[in-house]
Amino acid sequence: MQVLIKIIQEHKYGQMLGMVLRIGLGLLFIYASLDKIWNPGLFAKSISNYRILPLPLLHISAIILPWLEFLCGLALILNKYPRAANAWIAGLLLVFIMAVISAMSRGLDFNCGCFNVNEATANLGFGKIAENIGLLLCAGFLELQFRTNQK
Amino acid sequence: MKSIPVLLQQMSLLALVSAVLGVSAQVVLPNGIGLKTELTIVSSDSGQVSIPTLSINPNGNTESASNISLRGAFEAHENGTAIFIDARSPEEFQKGHIQAAINMPVHAFMDSMAFLENLDFGTPIITYCDGEDCNASIDLAADLKLMGFSQVVFFFGGWLEWQAAGYPIETGS
Repeated sequence: MQVLIKIIQEHKYGQMLGMVLRIGLGLLFIYASLDKIWNPGLFAKSISNYRILPLPLLHISAIILPWLEFLCGLALILNKYPRAANAWIAGLLLVFIMAVISAMSRGLDFNCGCFNVNEATANLGFGKIAENIGLLLCAGFLELQFRTNQK
Repeated sequence: MKSIPVLLQQMSLLALVSAVLGVSAQVVLPNGIGLKTELTIVSSDSGQVSIPTLSINPNGNTESASNISLRGAFEAHENGTAIFIDARSPEEFQKGHIQAAINMPVHAFMDSMAFLENLDFGTPIITYCDGEDCNASIDLAADLKLMGFSQVVFFFGGWLEWQAAGYPIETGS
């Protein structure tokens, strides 16, 4: 860990990698939010497929979550409140990973509603979990960089 | 440690702005939805279940399908008055399904277009999936309704209720 922090602090590529990850993650989250913002009803349906949230919370989640993704993505790109945005993104990714594992363990199979609420090809699976763990690692790297830059 | 409250403040601000934007957007968006999730009570022979109306009606379209009981479904089967469509996966379908049912996994709906286009829109259709733990029958019924079929009902008791009643089944594709 110490070595990693040293690289992030001292190596120019460490800072550059941080910037690329910050903007990349931001763009990805904005992209992921657009279809959900446009189709809140279908996104609510995607959330209901997981059968985790109580039914009365479905609509309100489908209304707020895509905008949270959008704003956090924008905040990361603009480097405005980047740590707070990154913390939300990490939290959302963590919840999503747990939701996918929970749904898979119950034998549910459906479109994950990740990028496009109507896509038929992005069903749940270990690939989806790996993809999100990768993104979570990026968020972890960014948090580490925010912390070391603050010192 | 001083930075933690600042972080929480900024996170709260992001959440608050998202909520304001999200709620306001529903007024402007053509597909906007209400804050409250409307529930539909669906009854089957083994009780009543609440399901979100959005499963039936995802686009705010007024088309909606209704439920048929085990008895009603059996009568339609015996009299041959309706087509049974199984919304489960091909693997589940092969293991066993209602006799003479057609497999149409709800997520592969578009693959079935060639078959559907040859049917009369007035053909009575009964959709089903596993049972009360799945919504695929309702989603498929909604898709068929939106496509233009006028007599679509979903059998919410599904495969489990049909099988338990000892009604005609078959295996294979």
